[in-house]
Formats: sequence, structure tokens, C-alpha cells
Amino acid sequence: MGPSVCVYLWRVFYCCRGEDYYRWGTTKKGIDVSTKSNTAVLSTLLEQNRTAIIEEWKRTVMDSLGHKYPGVLSMDELHRHADMKLSAFSAYFSTCGEALVTVTKESTLGRMVYELSTDHDMRGIKPVDTALYLVALKKAISHRLALLLPNSQEQLVDLLEPLFGLMDQLTLLSFDAYSTTREKVIAQQSQSLMELSTPVIVLWNNVLLLPLVGVIDTIRARQFTERMLEAITRHEGIVTIIDVTGVPVFDTGVARHIMKAVDAAQLLGSKVVMTGISPEGAQTLTKLGISFANVTSRVSLRAGVAEALKLVGRRIELINGAN
Amino acid sequence: MSKINLSIRTESDISEAVRQSRAMAGRLGFSTTSAYYIATAASELAANLWIHAGGGVITLQRLDGKGGMELTTIDHGPGIADIDRALEDGFSTANGLGCGLPGVKRLMDELDIASFPGVRTEIKARKWL
Repeated sequence: MGPSVCVYLWRVFYCCRGEDYYRWGTTKKGIDVSTKSNTAVLSTLLEQNRTAIIEEWKRTVMDSLGHKYPGVLSMDELHRHADMKLSAFSAYFSTCGEALVTVTKESTLGRMVYELSTDHDMRGIKPVDTALYLVALKKAISHRLALLLPNSQEQLVDLLEPLFGLMDQLTLLSFDAYSTTREKVIAQQSQSLMELSTPVIVLWNNVLLLPLVGVIDTIRARQFTERMLEAITRHEGIVTIIDVTGVPVFDTGVARHIMKAVDAAQLLGSKVVMTGISPEGAQTLTKLGISFANVTSRVSLRAGVAEALKLVGRRIELINGAN
Repeated sequence: MSKINLSIRTESDISEAVRQSRAMAGRLGFSTTSAYYIATAASELAANLWIHAGGGVITLQRLDGKGGMELTTIDHGPGIADIDRALEDGFSTANGLGCGLPGVKRLMDELDIASFPGVRTEIKARKWL
């Protein structure tokens, strides 16, 4: 039987005696806790000691983060934040009964943490420092409580339990908020990458050029196929040059995507000239057993353009015998 | 780094496997062409994890001794019921070109497949310097 079990039994014993237990918890400072729940007491204490808690918290935050983010955190702002948080805490605890209420994203506290986290992210404050911000608040409050209740460990523990419960929830929420913001940023970035990645260029009348750059995955493949087919229809493309110089690796997946695009282009009556397969790419394709049998291939984009022009009955030549 | 573990869960994880294996092959002293072969093999194996196995892990590793590189994939997907058929050209269960695994075999020097369908599948592909 460990010491914690002893304490537990001891508490059960005192709880059975009801009134005595609470009287034991009362302090000299005259905090009357005889009829209130722990959370209600906590709510009152937070209100009464607001200034002292805020001062300690500001000091801790400035000491640990002030030098890391010079000019980013101001005392006034910290004061406002702490003030808002403490009001929200005390409101939260006053509505809680014995059991803690789960803090959702939509609640006042949840929104507050989300805003804090998003705001910090925008200003370049790392998520770990945002967590420190919240942890420092937990510390400041628990220090204050310890000072107020110097002789009653037991009651202190009872008060710290809901406080820690709430602070842990808030810290988790701040990480959730951070990852949500990040996911949004990543989604936006990949969207903008998509938009700039597959242009279709009208090289000459009825000659289209599709430079493929980067990884060809399912989404990219669908996108460039759609754009190519649309351009072939709109510009009556007789020849389409697909340049794969910028494709890092030619595997069966990429080959399959390109074959499908080529088939579709040919169904619309456009011939396809493929350019820019590297020597390594060519050897790999033969090892894989893939042959682009129905496609004209040229080693460079220059040779491809010459071939394409030939197919529409044109050629590039020197003006007046210049060289 | 002589060993890299990569988790393959999404399609973009495949290109990470390609980048890493190509870079590692280059560091180990493979020629550009061999590095391209290894990267393509990694791409095929990783794509198999993504398409057929619902995800898995690919490990890129340096081989000591005579020197080389090994790609290992481990997954807990449905597995390969008939390994000989999977190594036949033109055989595909998922509307592919059917040259992924046989391609890997030709691109690399050695290919070992151990599959306990529904339990665990492990594929090792080695290429020597």
C-alpha cells in the first residue's frame, strides 16, 4: 500500500465526517469554502487575485520569451490577454459543477485559444512557445494559490486538480489550432502550385506545347490531360508537343498517365510528339518494358518543335542567308 | 545516413521515396543511370504499397561488403497470392500496366518476395555497385 492510498483513505475518512473536512480546509485568510464546490472557490480566488497573477505571469513570459521575440510581445498586450483569460477562466469555473466541462473549439475559451494560436502563428511565434505561454499561466495561478493556502496541502490539491484539467485541455487545443492553421496553409500552397504547374502554350497555329514539370501524380495527370484536350479542341491542335524534361522519374505510373493522355489527344485528331526523355529515362523505360509505340519522340524540345512544324507544313529558316 | 525509413500513406509519400532513394544512391557512388534505376524501383515499390496494400513502410539501406543498396517494403495488406504471376509481364490486378514488379526485377540485381496473404508481405530489392 503506497502513500497515495493512505492519503486517499484518510480523505475518505474525513469526507465521511463532512463538516470537519471542510473546516480543516479553511485558512486563516478567511476564505470561506464550507459550502462551495472547488470550482466555485477557484472562480472566486481567480477574481480576487487577478492583479497578482497577471503580474507574475507577465514576468515569467517576458523572462522566457521576451528576448526570443524582441518587439513582438508587448507588456500591454500581455496584460490584456491575461486579463481576458482570467475573466474567462473564472466564468468557466463558476459554471462548472463538481465535474469539469469539456472545452470545445466553439466555446468562449476555445475560441480564445484558437485566436491566440492563429495570431501567434502569423507573428512567427513557435507553437512550443504558445504552449509555454499557457503553461506559465498555469504556474502563476498555482503559485498564487499555494501562497494563499500555506497550511493546507489537501485543499490546494483539490483546487489545482480542476485548474490543471482546464489548462491541459487548453494546451491541447492550442496545438490543434496550430495544426489546423498549418493544414490550411499547405492546402492553399498546393492549390497555387497546381495553378502554375501545367500551362498549355500555343506555339504556332495548330501547334501546342505542354511542358510537364515536377512530379506527375494522379491529380496532376488528370489536370494536364483536361487542359491539353481543352486546348486541342479550342485551337484545333494538329500537333501537340509533350515535353517531359522536367519530370524527375519516369516510372510505370507516370508512363501510364502519359499514355492515357496521348491516346485521348489522338482520339481528338492531334498527333503527339514527345520530347526531353533523358538517356536514363529511356533505358529505364525499356527495362520496365514500356514502349511509346504510337508516339513520335525527339531528343530535345528544339528537335520536337522542328518535327511539329514539319507536320503542319512549315519550317524555321535563316533570313537572307544570315548565320 | 545509411538507413532511411519512410512511411507510405499518401501519393505524395511516393515522390519523397523517389527523392530520398535517388539522393542516397548518388551518395553511395552509383552512376546517374543506376541511381535512376533505383529511384524508379523505389517508385514502383512505394506505389504498390499505396495502391495495393493500403500503406506500408519502405526502408532504404546501404549494403556493406561488396557495396550496394537495398530497398525493403513491409506491409500488412492483402498480400500477393501468386508471386510467379506477379512477376509476369502484363499481369495486373489493379488496372496497371502490369510491368511494375517485373520491371523492378530488371532494374535491380536481386529481388526477394515473401508474402503471407492478409498477414505480412516483405519485398527486398538489391542493387550492387
